[in-house]
Amino acid sequence: MTLEFVLMGLVIIAGFYMAWNIGANDVANAMGTSVGSGALTLRQAVLVAAVLEFSGAFFFGSAVSETIQTGIIDPNSFASQPLTLACGMLACLIAAGVWLQIASYYGWPVSTTHTIVGAVIGFGLVFGGTDAIQWNNVSYIASSWLVSPLLGGVLAFLLFSLLKKVIFRAKDPIGACKRIAPVLVAMMVAIVLPMLLFSHSGKYEPSFLQGVFICLASGAISAYLSLLALRRTFVKGRSAAHPQMVVMAQMESAQHALLQATPLLPLSMQEKLCNLTEEIDNLKHEAKLQLSESVPDTHAQHMLVEKVFGFLQIMSACMMAFAHGTNDVSNAIGPLAAAISILQNGKLVLNEAIPTWVFALGASGIVIGLATWGWRVIETIGKKITELTPTRGFAAEFGTALTIILASRLGMPVSTTHTLVGAVIGVGIGGGMGALNLNVAKEIFISWVVTIPAGAGLTIFFYYLISTFVSV
Amino acid sequence: MRSFLNLFGPSPFTALQLHMQIVSRCVQLLEDLFSAIDARDFIQSASIAESIRKLEHQADIVKNDIRNHLPKSIFLPIDRSNLLEILSMQDHLADNAESVADLVTMKNLPLPEPLKADFMLFLKMSIKTFKTVEEIISELGELLEFSFGGVEAEKVKALVNDTSMKERETNIALRGLLKGLFNIEEDLSYGSFYLWVRIIEGITEISKLSERLSSRVRMTLESE
Repeated sequence: MTLEFVLMGLVIIAGFYMAWNIGANDVANAMGTSVGSGALTLRQAVLVAAVLEFSGAFFFGSAVSETIQTGIIDPNSFASQPLTLACGMLACLIAAGVWLQIASYYGWPVSTTHTIVGAVIGFGLVFGGTDAIQWNNVSYIASSWLVSPLLGGVLAFLLFSLLKKVIFRAKDPIGACKRIAPVLVAMMVAIVLPMLLFSHSGKYEPSFLQGVFICLASGAISAYLSLLALRRTFVKGRSAAHPQMVVMAQMESAQHALLQATPLLPLSMQEKLCNLTEEIDNLKHEAKLQLSESVPDTHAQHMLVEKVFGFLQIMSACMMAFAHGTNDVSNAIGPLAAAISILQNGKLVLNEAIPTWVFALGASGIVIGLATWGWRVIETIGKKITELTPTRGFAAEFGTALTIILASRLGMPVSTTHTLVGAVIGVGIGGGMGALNLNVAKEIFISWVVTIPAGAGLTIFFYYLISTFVSV
Repeated sequence: MRSFLNLFGPSPFTALQLHMQIVSRCVQLLEDLFSAIDARDFIQSASIAESIRKLEHQADIVKNDIRNHLPKSIFLPIDRSNLLEILSMQDHLADNAESVADLVTMKNLPLPEPLKADFMLFLKMSIKTFKTVEEIISELGELLEFSFGGVEAEKVKALVNDTSMKERETNIALRGLLKGLFNIEEDLSYGSFYLWVRIIEGITEISKLSERLSSRVRMTLESE
């Protein structure tokens, strides 16, 4: 058995293990919110995740994977000693896997993405010197780590503010909900589709006009379908304005107007005005007794709105699973692909597409991790997050998924967890959450600072371990 | 992933509603208390007073727990000081119920027959005011869902108006009762007279506090 053969086998196993780890621990963050709010049962969540993580990873994971494969370490720097790099990639994968196991054991908020990128940078720096790293790519990646939670937060904030204004402040929340849901569905389809269509990774590359047409058409069709679905679900018509409340509001504004006028008038008239306001007060009381006790059943309205958004959240959950697949599969197969390229070609070849079987390996690793262990974690998270109702969950997931798909499109490896935290905080700032513990943001900062050296350090350790068995 | 779970802090709104439930049981026991006094069953009244004291203590425990779990790092959808004020006012309601219970059981204090009708009406009105604000607090969950605006806010605003209306009616009943009390001042010992004045004060305070509490909640609403 040649050295290359053994190394190849080890690297594949390590890559698969990393993918398994992602499926076991990371997918739960993407799907937990949907289970917690009740939009999906555990079973449905696992199924959705399995199908969509695989599709995202397999069909659209290439941009980010290529970044990790050839975008961090300069291939030329290890041209004379390719085996060193291959062993280094193996060390990265093992180190990342170990670090993640330790972190989940202690419950630290560590990101798979940060770990693997830290590991690769660490290896390149120590064994190749500062010239071995493509610093402008690394700075892009670092800035994307800062931008992604912020962007997720801003998008979620905007979306929830929209929902707040259009639905929760409306006189007729259910009617407003029925009107806006198709729009949201259309938005989801029309925004996600172009990112996928124009991603250069499919064989089918439509022209700009064709693309626009496809997006608008699918947006319109999905909106129409959801309109039909909504019509069938709710036999109840819109909630009528309640005479009692309308009258109360009008009398109050009359009272308010009079009180505003009072200081501007001479004292003799002020007394008369005060008597008037008192009269209105008594009339208000009488009106309340006389008009029908038709106080709106806000609780029923609340339930219905959340029910509609339960359906919408299924779509956003799909988006989340898909987005997560596109971005995180690279954490497993990026280094794997680098090692394979070296072992097959004798050196790291740029611009060579990553073979399909590597994607299949990574994607199935994730699904298997999900099926064997990840579902438990989803269950745990789902049980504990009950504060995230469908409306809030939808806003957070939409913001997160959109940000991550954008990042994947740009080839930037970002942390799903941190983006989701940013999104939930965005919803909170919009007034949607009961209580948010902002210390988590502090913990995340700390994890940024700790993970990269930890990943790098462990990689170096494992590299030395490997190099005692392998003479490079 | 545990960091993600830590993001969701304990909701103070459900805790507030729990606290209010305890306060409500405490305050509504006053009706039973004065029925026992009216029936001259002083053993029963003593035991009801004891229950009131226990409930007030339970309310204090819940109140302290809420306060201990609201550090500055928790982000809330409404002003933190509003929330704490609401909690404080709720707790004062229980405190008032407890002090009324203490006063009544200071000695065997029978309810004077000429005052009975007025007093029962007054007590009823005060507790009705309280019940209205209790309804407001029970709407806190819905308010959170509707982000303190919209149809739900309108509903709560109507309840707030209702509370002030009832408080005013309590005051009217109070004046009638006090007049009656002064009518029979010769027939009461100094001690008993004093106790009744203080008791009536305590019950008035309940309706006043209820009205102030309802205004506080009104201040958290976002719309006009």
